[in-house]
Amino acid sequence: MSGVRAIVKKELRSYFYSPVAYVIIGLFLFAMGVIFAKFVDIYQRYNAMQRFGQAQGITLDKLAMYLYQNMAFILCFVTPFLTMKLFAEEKRQQTLELLFTAPLKGGELVIGKFLASYALMLIMVVISFVYVLFMILWGNPEMPIIGTTYLGLLLALSCYISLGALISAMTSSQAIAAIWTFIALLMLWLMQSIGQGITWSLGPLQLGPLLTYLSPPGHFNSFAEGLIQVKDVVYFVSFTAFMLFLTHRVVESNRWR
Amino acid sequence: MIEVRNLTKKYGDRVAVDHISFSVNRGEILGFLGQNGAGKTTTMKILTCFMSATEGSASVAGFDVFENPLEVKKRIGYLPETPPLYPEFLVSEYLAFIADLRNIPKRDQKKKIDAVVERCYLGDVRNRLIANLSKGYRQRVGIAQALIHDPEVLILDEPTVGLDPKQVTEARGLIKSLRSERTVIYSTHILSEVAATCDRIVIIDRGKIVAQEALNSMGSAGGTTRTEIVVQKMNENMVQVLKGLQGVKNVHSQANGQNRLIVESEAREDVMAEIARTVVNQNAGLIRMSPVQLALEDYYLNLIGGRSAQQ
Repeated sequence: MSGVRAIVKKELRSYFYSPVAYVIIGLFLFAMGVIFAKFVDIYQRYNAMQRFGQAQGITLDKLAMYLYQNMAFILCFVTPFLTMKLFAEEKRQQTLELLFTAPLKGGELVIGKFLASYALMLIMVVISFVYVLFMILWGNPEMPIIGTTYLGLLLALSCYISLGALISAMTSSQAIAAIWTFIALLMLWLMQSIGQGITWSLGPLQLGPLLTYLSPPGHFNSFAEGLIQVKDVVYFVSFTAFMLFLTHRVVESNRWR
Repeated sequence: MIEVRNLTKKYGDRVAVDHISFSVNRGEILGFLGQNGAGKTTTMKILTCFMSATEGSASVAGFDVFENPLEVKKRIGYLPETPPLYPEFLVSEYLAFIADLRNIPKRDQKKKIDAVVERCYLGDVRNRLIANLSKGYRQRVGIAQALIHDPEVLILDEPTVGLDPKQVTEARGLIKSLRSERTVIYSTHILSEVAATCDRIVIIDRGKIVAQEALNSMGSAGGTTRTEIVVQKMNENMVQVLKGLQGVKNVHSQANGQNRLIVESEAREDVMAEIARTVVNQNAGLIRMSPVQLALEDYYLNLIGGRSAQQ
């Protein structure tokens, strides 16, 4: 366990020693700020119209759901920049040898790296509570739904980071890791809509629903609607666990070649 | 302390290390000598549990490298070919991370870090960014990293490559100062370095061990000594007369300079005296008579060069 702590400490330190963390947090907040401003604008207009009895069906909760769906998607763009260096940089600097000749288990290394990225992501998630605060001040949001939404976000994040860690372990170039992680996450998201368009099936195996199931947005949306379903939790947790398992295998394989 | 038996490592079809066996005793400094690509680094990577072997076994401090890697790793300090550094850290932060990684309890960390900083002369750069350090300092930080947990065994892969002469001397001094308290394996392709620091050498060529012996036993192999004789004027039957002496095994007349002879004889004082008397009696005008130390360089080139001549 102390190995995990040493790795987390080192990773966080190195995040904040490079401009990457600040730039990424800044960009994330900027993008979220733009979307939130838009959200406030729409909300005000509908509020005004509602007063004259013209518009119906747009509630604060529905808008909040859109906001968080956007956030879950934007985090797809943020993740690659945080996970790209995890293993690729160690390989490039030839420091993997240091880590593997220290009394540290491969699993501890992978978990440590994962937790460090997760911790940085948590900072962003915590900052986004500002929007909740605004909603409480000027509206009347359903707090339990906000709660489940955040739970969904945290789960979705773990699956993004684990995928990013895996890809970082497969290359020694940060740029390549970032690009592939981005492509992989985008594909993962798009599988939702691609899956809905496919009616083709292979015997009992229906490709369309399978793709949709494997894609995160469907699972996230039920959290955003206020539902905690076992199948969604299982999806995120097993996805993360499987990716981390593969990461461990890939990292260890560096020593067998 | 270190036992290696029939260790073999293949990269695909290429055999990097071919059934090598050697052992290192406690407190010994072993020079691991060989050309680039001879298999030195591979052997070290296996000993430090970074790599697996294809065949054979190795143990460090009684623990098998493959069965019990965690115990082995705790006892080894390792400096890879490229010092494994994080350029964005200060030297002190880096060493603190290594101390964490090595499970050194918090309360001992400061003491241990201070000790290696002093030992590796890092006092001046303690609070500098590793990215801004010169090659020599980086190498020293690398050595400090390997020493921080007081390992019983130290494995250094070409620790003096890229250092300037002053730094090389300092690094050697540092390694020598570890003698007797630690067991050191130390790879290099610089011969004078081995002569200056090591107790014993293992010469490896193309994955095979071609020689291993204690350093001071070389040169007088098999009780034979070689004597160089320089005279003013060589006379023709000198070689014949010398060859006829008891105890003399061979006489070579050197190509460079007609007035030089190398006499191979038994390493006994009476034989030496007899040779001297004979040369003087020949009236050739003896200028110099001196024992030839078979230099490490010759020894090494004999072993390695023999092979390239055969090809």
